[in-house]
This record gives sequence, structure tokens and C-alpha cells, in this order.
Amino acid sequence: MLHVTGIPTKEDVAKVTPSLERLQKGPCAVIECFQKIPCNPCATSCPFGAIERGNDINELPVIDWEVCTGCGICVVNCPGLAIFVVDMSQPDRAAVKLPYEFLPLPKVGDVVTAIGRDGVPLGDAKVLKVQDNKAYDRTRLVWLEVQRDWAMEVRHFSRKES
Amino acid sequence: MERKEIVVVGGGPAGLCAALQAARMGAQVTLLEGDDRLGGQLVKQTHMFFGSQKQHAGTRGVDISTMLVKELEQMPNVEIRTNAMVLGRYEDGALTVDDNDQFKVIYPKKAVFATGASEKMLMFANNDMPGVYGAGAVQTLMNVYGVKPADRVLMVGAGNIGLIVSYQLMQAGVQVAAILDAGPRIGGYLVHAAKIRRAGVPILTRHSIKEAVGTDRVTGAVIVQLDEKWQAIPGTEQTIACDAICLAVGLSPFADLFWQAGCDMKFIPELGGHVPARGQDMQTSVEGIYVAGDVGGIEEASSAMVEGYLAGLNAASALGYGGETVQTQRTELETQLNDLRSGPVGEKIRAGLAKLYAE
Amino acid sequence: MSNHEYDNTIICRCEDISRAELHKWIDQGLTTVDELKRLTRATMGPCQGRTCRQLILQEIASRTGVPISEAKIPTYRQPLRGITLGAIADMKLDEEGKPHEE
Repeated sequence: MLHVTGIPTKEDVAKVTPSLERLQKGPCAVIECFQKIPCNPCATSCPFGAIERGNDINELPVIDWEVCTGCGICVVNCPGLAIFVVDMSQPDRAAVKLPYEFLPLPKVGDVVTAIGRDGVPLGDAKVLKVQDNKAYDRTRLVWLEVQRDWAMEVRHFSRKES
Repeated sequence: MERKEIVVVGGGPAGLCAALQAARMGAQVTLLEGDDRLGGQLVKQTHMFFGSQKQHAGTRGVDISTMLVKELEQMPNVEIRTNAMVLGRYEDGALTVDDNDQFKVIYPKKAVFATGASEKMLMFANNDMPGVYGAGAVQTLMNVYGVKPADRVLMVGAGNIGLIVSYQLMQAGVQVAAILDAGPRIGGYLVHAAKIRRAGVPILTRHSIKEAVGTDRVTGAVIVQLDEKWQAIPGTEQTIACDAICLAVGLSPFADLFWQAGCDMKFIPELGGHVPARGQDMQTSVEGIYVAGDVGGIEEASSAMVEGYLAGLNAASALGYGGETVQTQRTELETQLNDLRSGPVGEKIRAGLAKLYAE
Repeated sequence: MSNHEYDNTIICRCEDISRAELHKWIDQGLTTVDELKRLTRATMGPCQGRTCRQLILQEIASRTGVPISEAKIPTYRQPLRGITLGAIADMKLDEEGKPHEE
């Protein structure tokens, strides 16, 4: 169905979802890359060597969640903007780091509309952090605070009209 | 009349890399570009490139262009001429050039033609109405001239160009009403599709445009669903409001110069149409004419760059440049091309090249 | 598409040639781009066929049943782009009338 709609299915997502146990330990990267294309910046950019692409750059990336720290470097380096960081270490809320390439940027503390993979709004989310530096090359890393059951759902957001 | 060692025609990704490679090996290189600036389509690509580090993966196309051009400009053995349009190639090897409104005749020892591709047009009612654009024109307006092309666009074609331009439109503050594709599946990379989809743009496969609506400019479009045989299903028409229709329905190799030069041509649908026949060294049937990039078969810019390096290497080595490392470098470039083409998304290009190298 | 709803659709924009006009000539036996070009000027405008050549080939193929792979491709001649006569007249020639060597 992803081939027809552009929306990864529940089954697709299940294949790349870390265990709840791992998610509760702290931030880790979720690589939503479901098609074999020639590409490897995720693997070469990871400072911890947590992502493997094998000998063939067409192979899907394989991540070692025990090594991944959830730093987000791969998120801003993925040309497909297909990597997200999910953190469920807090008991009452989750944090999601998203790649973001639209202007104007949100500000810390802003309440934005969290959006799912299908483009449908889920509800409000709070901006925790907007990371930007030269190495990020104009892809910003935006941290959203969301309710826990949205941690594996929120993949985009829109600013509210002020 | 001028005599040159290597003339590269076309300053897009393939041509830039062909010129760079030949110049790095020590050859005297003249790069002719018909436009007023180098970079070709690279300068309109604001997304990070795929591939591996060797093809600058993770760097934005426009920045790759800047890097390549900067290196070329610093080389003493490279001459760059913009606004220099090649008009033809004669049997004695002469290239005629409209060089900034002056008619020039240039005799190269070797030539690399990297003339790129042109956009395919689609037939539908009122397709000549103002507001119907090719995707390339929309990109040029936005990314080269900083002009917002419309307020609400209907994109026709869900290949990589259609998906990428849709994303760029949204970044420019333009609404994308929908992306249509006549095929049963999204043709472009699914990561591009996913990022557009989550931003709320519907992608309608098995849909086509039937008619542009409007009196003197586009105010909407009638779209229609297609069956398995690509025929319109009556009764499924719907009208979409938009002030521009953007066509991204494929590219054709822009091979005029090869035809005119008398190169053997082959019709290979998987490569986008008629392409020049060539050997593994990228040399065409006319001695001394090499091919690189989209004009030899429609592919990604990463492959075009590697083909450029390869054609530049072979042209320069045919003139005695490069020394002992030539074979190692050639093998390395061929390996890069194989890597880029070896996966499932390279299936079509592999089939096309198999036909090309058959006989 | 064999229906008539696209009859008025312009195939060659530079020379303003509609699909119905092309069909009229194809049905009279002009089944190559070269013949159609000589009669209608299709592909002879500023774009030199860049936009319309593929569409014309498709129309010929669908109208005659001969696939594009077997179509006769028109001859490409120099100059491939327009150039002013002035630019050609200004070219420096040597005593033999050949381009002056710089």
C-alpha cells in the first residue's frame, strides 16, 4: 500500500519499531526506510557506528538500538527525511525529534498541531527544542512533546496560525 | 577557427564531472554551456542527494554544483564558456558554436556530449493554456529566479521529479492540491512520497488529467481515474481547483547533436527513448565522441555524475593522459555505477543497458 | 485515445497545429514526422520539436498501428538552434574562405 498511497502501513512501521522496553530506556532512532534505494548517509553519519548498510548501498539500513543514543545526527543527514527519534523515558509523556525543512521555524514553547503519517492532525504538541547548526545544513531538528500513545504516530507538524 | 584538446558540451552534472576528470588528468578542457550559468538541473535541486559519499550523498544538489564549478574555475587548464550553444558537428570533426552571438568553429581532438534531457509533454484538452507548466519551469521560477509560480498547483506525475517539485512548492508556500500518476504505483522514491503525504498532499495513482479548466488562464483541472488498461473510467471525473498544472511526466534524452553528428542511435524505452549506441568506454559509433548523463539514458543525477567522470577519463586517456592509475580509476568508477544501479530501483536502467550492449 | 474530445488539443504549440489537423494528414498517407513537418511546419518553430516530436510520434503510432520503435525519425540538421545571419556573416575567414585559425 505504501507504493500506492505514500503512507507506511502499520505492518511497515511494526518492522522498524524498537521494543517498548528500549523506548523507555531513552531516545533512539526509528528508521522508516522501506524501499531499497542506493543511499547510505545514515550509516556514514552515525558517530557511534550504530547503523549498518552492509556491502551494498541498496540494502535497507539495520540499526543496533543498544548502540544508538538517539542523538539525531542521522535524522538531519537522511536525504529522505525518513528517520525520527523517539524517547519514552518519561512516565507521562513522550518526545519525538523530527526533521523539519519549512519556514518560519517554530519557537520553543509553541503549541503546534502534531500530524501523523497520513497527513491527518492528531492534536496539540509542545515544541521542546529547535536545533539548528551549520552541520545540519538547513534541515532543522525539532523536538516535540506529545502524549505517549502518539510517540510512534507523530511524524510531522504544522504551526498554528497566529 | 580554434583547435582544442577536449571539448565538453553541456555544463550539467555529467558535463561538469567529465570536464573535471579530464582536467584532473592534465588535459586541456573547454566546457561549452548554452545557458548563462553552469550547473544544469543541479542548481534547482534543494534536496539532499542519495547515493554514497563518492557522489556527495547527503549534500544538496545546488551545493554539489557550487563545489564542482568552484574546482573547475580554479584549474588553469580549464576554459569555461557560458552562453555558448553548440549548433552542429561536421564530418571533419568541427563543432560550430553560437558563442555569445559570435559564430565559432572549434576542432576538438575528443568531445564529450552531455546534453541532458528535455521534458515530455502530455496531451489533454487546453494543455496550451497559461498556467500549464513543465516541472522544470516551475523549479526555474522558484529556485533560480525566486518567483512564486502559483498559489495552488496540481502536480501530474509521481516520479522523483513530481515528488521533489511538490515538496519544493510547499516549501515556497504554495499549496499542492494533489499529485496524480497514471501508473498503479508511485514511481519516485517512497521516502519522498512519505514526506509529502504526511504534509497532507494526496497522491492519486491510476489518475490522469483530462482537461485544463479556465478561459484565459488555468482555474482548475478535470481529473479522471484510469483502469488497468490505462483507459479513463467514465463517470469518475472530478474537478480540482488550482491556478497551475505542473507536468512531471518523464524526460526524453536530448540527443539532437548525436543524431546530427551521425552517431548510431537505438530506441530503448527503458532509457527514455532514442539514445546513442556506445561502448563500455562511453564512446559512440563516431570516433572521438563520448556520451555521458541523461542524454544516454534517463537516470538519477548521481549516476550522471559518475558517467561524466568515466567519459572524461576515457576521453583524456585516449589522448595519453592519466598514466598508470587510469585502469584503477576506471574500475572504481564502473564499480560506483554498478552499485548505484544494482538495487531494485535500478532494474529498469539495467534492462535498458542490457539492450544497449546486446549485439 | 481514439475519441474526439482531444481534436482541438494543440500538439505543436510553436506552429499551432491541432491533433485533428495532424490526423487529417496522417489519414491521407503522410505517416512520417518528416512529411508532416514539410506540410504543416510542425516541429519547425523555436523549440525545434522539443515539446511536440514525441507527441507527433505517438499520434502517428496510434493512428497507423506502427510502433514508435519502428518510426522513421526526421533528419537533424545544423544549425540545431537559431543563430542570426549577422553572426555567421561576421565570421573571420582566411584567404581560402575557411574559418580563420585563432
